[in-house]
Amino acid sequence: MNDAIKIRILQGDPIVHDVRNVKFPERYRGLPLIQDKVCANGCSKCADICPTNAIKLNPVQIDLGLCVFCPLCEEVCPEKIIHFTNDYHTAVDTRESLIISKEIKSISPEAASEKIRKYFGKSLKLRQISAGGCNGCELELNALSNVNFDMGRYGIEFVASPRHADGIVITGPITNNMAKATEICYEAVPNPKIIILFGACAISGGIFKESNKIQRDFIEKNKIDLFIPGCPPHPLTFINGVIDWLDKK
Amino acid sequence: MSLQLQNNQRFDVSSIQFLAVGDFQKKVRDALSNGYRMIALTPIENNSPDKIIAVFADNISSSIHIIGGKFDKSKLEFESFANEFPQTNYFECELSENNGYVPLNHPWLRPVRNQNVILGNKPYQFYKLEGEEVHEVAVGPIHAGVIEPGHFRFQCHGELVYNLEINLGYQHRSVEKLILEANPNQRIILSESIAGDTTVGHTFAHCSVVESLSQAQLSLRAEVIRTIASEIERIAMHLSGLGGVANDVGFALPSASYGRLRTLAINSLLALCGSRFARGLFVYGGVRFDLNDEILNVIKKNLEVIKNDVTEINNYLFNSIGVLTRFEDTGTVSKNLAQNIGLVGLAARSSGLEEDVRISFPYSAYRYNPVSMITLSSGDVFARARLRALEIDESLRFIFDQLDNLPSGEIKSQLGEIKNNSGVISIIEGWRGEIVHIAITDASGNIVQYKIKDPSFNNWYGLSLALRKTAISDFPLCNKSFDLSYAGHDL
Repeated sequence: MNDAIKIRILQGDPIVHDVRNVKFPERYRGLPLIQDKVCANGCSKCADICPTNAIKLNPVQIDLGLCVFCPLCEEVCPEKIIHFTNDYHTAVDTRESLIISKEIKSISPEAASEKIRKYFGKSLKLRQISAGGCNGCELELNALSNVNFDMGRYGIEFVASPRHADGIVITGPITNNMAKATEICYEAVPNPKIIILFGACAISGGIFKESNKIQRDFIEKNKIDLFIPGCPPHPLTFINGVIDWLDKK
Repeated sequence: MSLQLQNNQRFDVSSIQFLAVGDFQKKVRDALSNGYRMIALTPIENNSPDKIIAVFADNISSSIHIIGGKFDKSKLEFESFANEFPQTNYFECELSENNGYVPLNHPWLRPVRNQNVILGNKPYQFYKLEGEEVHEVAVGPIHAGVIEPGHFRFQCHGELVYNLEINLGYQHRSVEKLILEANPNQRIILSESIAGDTTVGHTFAHCSVVESLSQAQLSLRAEVIRTIASEIERIAMHLSGLGGVANDVGFALPSASYGRLRTLAINSLLALCGSRFARGLFVYGGVRFDLNDEILNVIKKNLEVIKNDVTEINNYLFNSIGVLTRFEDTGTVSKNLAQNIGLVGLAARSSGLEEDVRISFPYSAYRYNPVSMITLSSGDVFARARLRALEIDESLRFIFDQLDNLPSGEIKSQLGEIKNNSGVISIIEGWRGEIVHIAITDASGNIVQYKIKDPSFNNWYGLSLALRKTAISDFPLCNKSFDLSYAGHDL
């Protein structure tokens, strides 16, 4: 008993109380900002070096759905046009909002429909499907339930059965071998239900986009409610995305 | 007759002798009889599947041995080694699935990554037990928790598991093929995504391969930063594993505490390189981010807390009678069995085998700053949990040592041209165990073969056997004690 109390005291108060305003370390790469500057003549270094072809030129645009947040583009740009800030509020509700251009200084999801907020605003149970995820995203989703992030305090939890869930969270590019299981799992979730894509692989295929062993039909034919970009996204990006979307501020 | 190499040593492809089938079989059998461990069985190039290499590691002489074999294109057959040497079983299955080889008289040819596969002209059938009161439990690919997919078939008699068959491949993204087609910047990102929990391990192996192919000399500072990251990853995942086993026996307080400490470990990586999994840290020729005083202090402070708290939490966990009752004699793999089936890393050391690449095949900064070999003998859940606790202590000691004696210098060196017609075999000790990356280049220096072996490739079979005559309700506990990678196995 004494030992238990000792451990509890050591535990202290580890929870992130204010999930909205956490100061991230300087080297963390969150939302990129694009300076309103002209590229050097004919320069295409950032687009050429990007491992997932996330960058378009004239004008410079970064697709966060593809971006794996490696700092290569920032490193090669001679004009310092691209800079990754440590803003971790990067979740959005439409695919187009993930395209970052020079006008965009911050992004967040629009609040969900009144119906969705009424159904899920106080309690949201999610079933996670790992469909080719490397376990990076899975670890970050697991971290949501630890004592630091404690997502349960917002009424958001992961459940074991799709029958008990209000929606699914997909990680990974959806491999051929997981395509059918993903469909079956989604079907088993009662209506109304939502789909959240977690990480670059789920959103766009990411670094595995060119693989002939992946199957993206499920993503193309279903409406996606929330996109959480990153490789892997930070747990706080997920929490903030969901509470913004459900308007739980 | 066989080519003998060191870890990370470049060799000319022309120095491999490709033996006729009979000689190849004899040589491989000799190597296995000598106690060598198979680490790869693969064509030297995917375009010519008739020329294969069998690669072995010998811990005693710290050497790697390559035996080449040349087959008749219309007759890709050899006598299976697996009846005598079960450790080759899965390698033969992989060679069969990928390249159409037929290992004759193989004891149990089964799919490795493909689903609905035809092997030896018939669809694959799961092993089936028949009889009164026998029942089958099928689980997955989607499991109850937030974990990766895999399919498990238990043949049970009442509560007891007679046989567990593990069917994987759901995560197969064809990483090896993508690495061949990718440009160098993509290759690093792909390596980081082989197994997201072993980002440092796999990227370390990949960079070592490329650097050896291009004769790069790394600065000692870069090597030290790499090994520090590698040990922080080990600490983080060992804490996660301890939290997992504590959770699986319903011991919530230690479980939560280990979780808190793991956050400190991965946040140290976040401070160093902006990613909690050390993504972006590795570049060819060194590391991208340097340690400065501020980051050094963050890391030291975090690790001090871990060092202090983990001792208390370990005492609490390992002194609890309830925990010990569940851990001891559960999911046991004997030393003999572990050796026969070729277990590696943490699982092997828990069964008393001295398998640690950092010691047997020292690389990078471990050449100058060795770590100690830690083994336990009971081979059960207790040993696998306890070993994690002991290894955390050793990793902390290593890191503090390095942080106090940081060499100065550049963190990135220039790479030369990639040598043509060459190969490199790189072995790294990830937190689970031995990671092997093999690259072969053609006449113009393009990488034409890339082979990856995650420790999970060896150890999944260990989990299967650990479950025999164990209560099925202990499966989650045994599974967590091995904590194997699906993505790393499936590639």
